[in-house]
Amino acid sequence: MSDSLVAPPDRSKRRRFRGIADKLGILGIFIVSAMILMAVFAPWIAPYDPTERVGRPFQTPSAEHLLGTNDVGQDLLSELIFGARVSLTVGLVAALVAFIIGTTVGVLAGYYPKRIGTVLMRTVDVVLILPFLPLLIVLAAYLGRSLINTILVIGILIWAAPARVIRSQVLSLRSREYVLAAQTMGAPDRWAIWRHVLPRTALLATSTFVRAVSTAILLEAALSFLGLGDPIQKSWGSMLFWAQTRGAFLTPAWKWWVLPPGIMIMLASLGFAFIAFAVEERINPRL
Amino acid sequence: MMSSKKVLWILTVCLALVLAACGGSDTGDTTTTAGGDEPGTTSGETPDTTEPSDDPVVVRAAINNDEDTINPYTYVTGFPGWNMLMMQYDSLMQFDADGVPQPWLAETVEASEDLATWTVTIVDGVTWHDGEPLTIEDVKFAYDYFLTNAAGRFARDLAGVESVEITGEREVTISLAGPSPAFDQVALGDIPIIPQHIWETIEGPSEATFDIDVNIGSGPFKLVEYVPDQSYRFEANPDYFLGAPAVDELVVVIFADDAGALAAIRSGEVDVIFDRVSPEQIELLDAQDPLDISQGPEFTTQMINYDATKAPFDDIAVRQAIDLAVDRQDIVDTVYLGAATVGSPGWVHPDKPVYNPDVAAVYDVDAANALLDDAGYADTDDDGIREFDGQPMSFEYLTNAEDSLRLRISELVSEMLADIGIEVNVASVESSTWEEAVWPGFDINNGRNYEMAMWGWSAPVQANTIRLGQLVHGDPGKGFLNLTGFDDPDLNALVDQLEVEGDPETAQQLLNDIQAQIAEKLPFVLLAYPDGAYVYNSDVYGDWEFIAGQGIVSKVSLLPAAARP
Repeated sequence: MSDSLVAPPDRSKRRRFRGIADKLGILGIFIVSAMILMAVFAPWIAPYDPTERVGRPFQTPSAEHLLGTNDVGQDLLSELIFGARVSLTVGLVAALVAFIIGTTVGVLAGYYPKRIGTVLMRTVDVVLILPFLPLLIVLAAYLGRSLINTILVIGILIWAAPARVIRSQVLSLRSREYVLAAQTMGAPDRWAIWRHVLPRTALLATSTFVRAVSTAILLEAALSFLGLGDPIQKSWGSMLFWAQTRGAFLTPAWKWWVLPPGIMIMLASLGFAFIAFAVEERINPRL
Repeated sequence: MMSSKKVLWILTVCLALVLAACGGSDTGDTTTTAGGDEPGTTSGETPDTTEPSDDPVVVRAAINNDEDTINPYTYVTGFPGWNMLMMQYDSLMQFDADGVPQPWLAETVEASEDLATWTVTIVDGVTWHDGEPLTIEDVKFAYDYFLTNAAGRFARDLAGVESVEITGEREVTISLAGPSPAFDQVALGDIPIIPQHIWETIEGPSEATFDIDVNIGSGPFKLVEYVPDQSYRFEANPDYFLGAPAVDELVVVIFADDAGALAAIRSGEVDVIFDRVSPEQIELLDAQDPLDISQGPEFTTQMINYDATKAPFDDIAVRQAIDLAVDRQDIVDTVYLGAATVGSPGWVHPDKPVYNPDVAAVYDVDAANALLDDAGYADTDDDGIREFDGQPMSFEYLTNAEDSLRLRISELVSEMLADIGIEVNVASVESSTWEEAVWPGFDINNGRNYEMAMWGWSAPVQANTIRLGQLVHGDPGKGFLNLTGFDDPDLNALVDQLEVEGDPETAQQLLNDIQAQIAEKLPFVLLAYPDGAYVYNSDVYGDWEFIAGQGIVSKVSLLPAAARP
């Protein structure tokens, strides 16, 4: 298996590998759409309002509360279902922020590789070199706890890797004959970028976007767990935060309080990662 | 096809590994229980041989903060930092189990008729850790030193002291500017006596750097080792003037957080946790064999603060409505799982002898709504939120993010006030941001930058009823803890009177009136007094003494029963 990942020796294996990528992609789409459906229809699926105190605190799972209750008597299953909303929103919007910054920087740096490109790429290098998690924590602590800050902090820290990938694609595109032809005929750069470069980077950009969603979901969970997110918002990370501060990691409650959000975070991140993997396999089989 | 099966198989293995990793904590639990039993079996082997003479009793304690070198100018927290300071030093008086100060280094304590002059004679034959005798000069030196080199807490204790004079071989007379009925509680039981021969050479102690050689006291323990951010080691003082302590060595280990300390006591790595145990852990820890819980009421507080100088909180009707709309019992049951006392709206803890039993919290949402309706705060745009001066009654409610229980209380308060049409948006911020907003620069002359906030005072503020004026007096000089900017002439007059009242009966009458006034006019809304709960390993050392309102962390807990006050 790992052999085939590194160097596919012949065509039949190559094709088989691509088949796996497709299957994983479908699995990813399945997981992600299930999560999105859960988030959208949360009020109908969840047995209780997650902000309402519906029972005694610290209940063990029962028929009434399938995953028990948290430290103030809110239903954990409902928290888990509604948590998908915040976690997915943060994941998608933060990735969108990164996508917009990353694509803009990547396209500009690729199309104007001399001055603008050098400056932009050194900026990218700086962002890539910065120790990631400590910086994230410092920024989150400095900006304060709110959903928007969480999104911004994650967004402005994960755009650099996509920018690099897109730049290399644009670098090769800008020397293609049709781009050169358009330039020779006096087309402005704006038009060449819009008409020729952007459409041909769109797919690659999409795959980096999906990958960024996966990263952003994990980061949101990490921030919320450390108490640097907004602890009032019901997300999977904040569920883990409360489980940690109210001692669930040390008591039998970890089985219904720690494990379910942990699995949800893993699944969501995995789902997006699978999709990104499949898309990459399609557009750039040698990646 | 085969590879896709392989992939699935690998995924399953990964998942299984993740599950197993999580399961590891469970197995960890079982082994820790077994480990926790070990000290039990070892001490169980030797119960017949007399313990104290043979094996040295070593108690290992856990704390969550580095306390620097723990001398009077370096200790960090009021709790448990001050408590560990006082294991090395003695004060003239010491609190007994009921929280009443008793003579300690002092042999007798006498107050003049007008309570403005206090005469103290000290016990003969006390020595410092280095063998020098403790004399009356040391006592005068210590008080003068704290007066000249203002160290926050001790200088504040001595506010109003005009002179400290030696009036006999072992007698000192302290003269105050005015009557101070609680001087024994505020100062005599709080201030450590420090040796003149060590401290007379130290100038500007607030800026000086110290090592632990300075820590020469007269107390039952001497600090012999300090590893920053790791641990402290205290050795018993065999020549302690009340007899050698029951514990021979005290090791204090610094943990990063509660979870670490809890895991350590469950696995038998430490024998007591000096910080309070959170309510949800009490039952679980108590169920584990050698562990015991010492629990009792304490005088810390949880309260709602609001800026009483600004609309709409300057209106007594709004404050009263908030007071009526919070279900204190619900907060105690939900957040503290019952391990707290319902807050008295009159500030004084019901377990205190000066408590006015006529003051009680009332929960009545209908009455609260009626109050607001009558005062003209109507919901004109039907969005469920009332308006004042054309603005919605929607407020930011600050709380410090580090305290998860406070955050939970804030959420409940927000829920409760929604019932009376007041919208409360909880904002959880860094401790420093929160303090800076509620108490800028720790000086109320700097004003306030908040609408509503969660707040709480540590035990000493509650313990000394004389401090009531500091909390509610409208004059910033007198009411320097009056964070809400509340100002009421009647209440000002009453606390002024209390401060100078010498007759205990009249003082009690005044205290009753003050509590009733606070409950009616509400400078703040007191929600609850959390209980203190401490966990210890009874196989290693079990004679912890719970001092009412202050907990188990004191030298009293480590002394033989005969030496306790």
